[in-house]
Amino acid sequence: MKAFLAALLFAAIVAIGVSLLLNAIQTPSYVAFTTEGVRVGDPGHNLVGPG
Amino acid sequence: MASFARLIRVALGACAFLLVIAASAPCNAQQVNPTASSVKEQQLLQELNRIQGRVSIPDQRSGVLEQPAGRDWREFRNVTLRWIGGIAILGMLAVLVIFYLTRGMVRLESGRSGRTIVRFTAFERFVHWMTATCFIVLAISGLNITFGRPLLLPLIGFEAFSEWSQWAKYAHNYLSFPFTIGVVLIFLMWIAGNIPNKVDVEWLKRGGGIVGHDHPPAYRFNAGQKAIYWIVVLGGGAVAVTGYELMFPFYLSGIEGMQLAQVVHSIVAVLFIAAMLAHIYIGTLGMEGAFEAMGTGEVDLNWAREHHSLWVEEEQAKGHAPSASVPRATPAE
Repeated sequence: MKAFLAALLFAAIVAIGVSLLLNAIQTPSYVAFTTEGVRVGDPGHNLVGPG
Repeated sequence: MASFARLIRVALGACAFLLVIAASAPCNAQQVNPTASSVKEQQLLQELNRIQGRVSIPDQRSGVLEQPAGRDWREFRNVTLRWIGGIAILGMLAVLVIFYLTRGMVRLESGRSGRTIVRFTAFERFVHWMTATCFIVLAISGLNITFGRPLLLPLIGFEAFSEWSQWAKYAHNYLSFPFTIGVVLIFLMWIAGNIPNKVDVEWLKRGGGIVGHDHPPAYRFNAGQKAIYWIVVLGGGAVAVTGYELMFPFYLSGIEGMQLAQVVHSIVAVLFIAAMLAHIYIGTLGMEGAFEAMGTGEVDLNWAREHHSLWVEEEQAKGHAPSASVPRATPAE
């Protein structure tokens, strides 16, 4: 049981850690593809948005 | 006089109306379609293999509007994949139910000895359960991508399905990392015991103790477990590589490469799920005493002798297992 609980805890820690890391180093597409001539709208809270 | 003038006006009006009708008829006949000779969608696709234009955002790849491979991929995703997945998963469930009803649980024929042998260490169980729990979440969230819209959406409605799918997608993306770590650790941890050998051929010839009531000798991992090991290592490796190709679009390939990655990812995944259903069955309902190996880490010595006799001999030679000469524990009277 300890091994099982430790496995769940470790998996959650890795998943949360990776999500924080990727959110920190990746730029949302609506920011990355905005230029002086084109402003891409914030998609809002949906599947492709910043969440 | 006034009535004559009115008659003239009516006559002139009628003539004007007829003139308009008569004049418009040739116009209709001569009306042309200004885009009749312009290039059509099918011609463009035949000539260029894709329809694309110019876009003002920096990523010029977004200018591709249509490509034939995309339509083939959509057909695969919406039709073919659902058939493959449905047949593989429901077919495996049906086989397992029929097998359980006809063969029943593989019983411990010599009964429990009362002595145990360590089957898996705490670290091995930790790695197994981490990979297994991640796999279950990945499987459910992955099946939602393929089957959620036709099966779940009508049941729970748009809002609930949207919310669930969003969280399922997050879980699918981020739990892939501990899953991949687990697959790598499984590969390194158990590779030594999973190289196929002659004992496996004999084990397979004798039905592995699953078909019939025979107990062919096996080392720590029998041929069935070796098959599961290689499915996990190779299948897990394939879904990990193709999954990361999809998670980080355009880093490794273009659209065509990602479509191919999705095809490989989804087919391997549904076959992987079907194989794991069989693995879960054997480890729980299918065989008495098997779950203890990953539950507590220890199995009954008689269970180990029946299913992994050569491994028990090795462990006894190393002094890691109770000797056969040690008297069995007897219950107090």
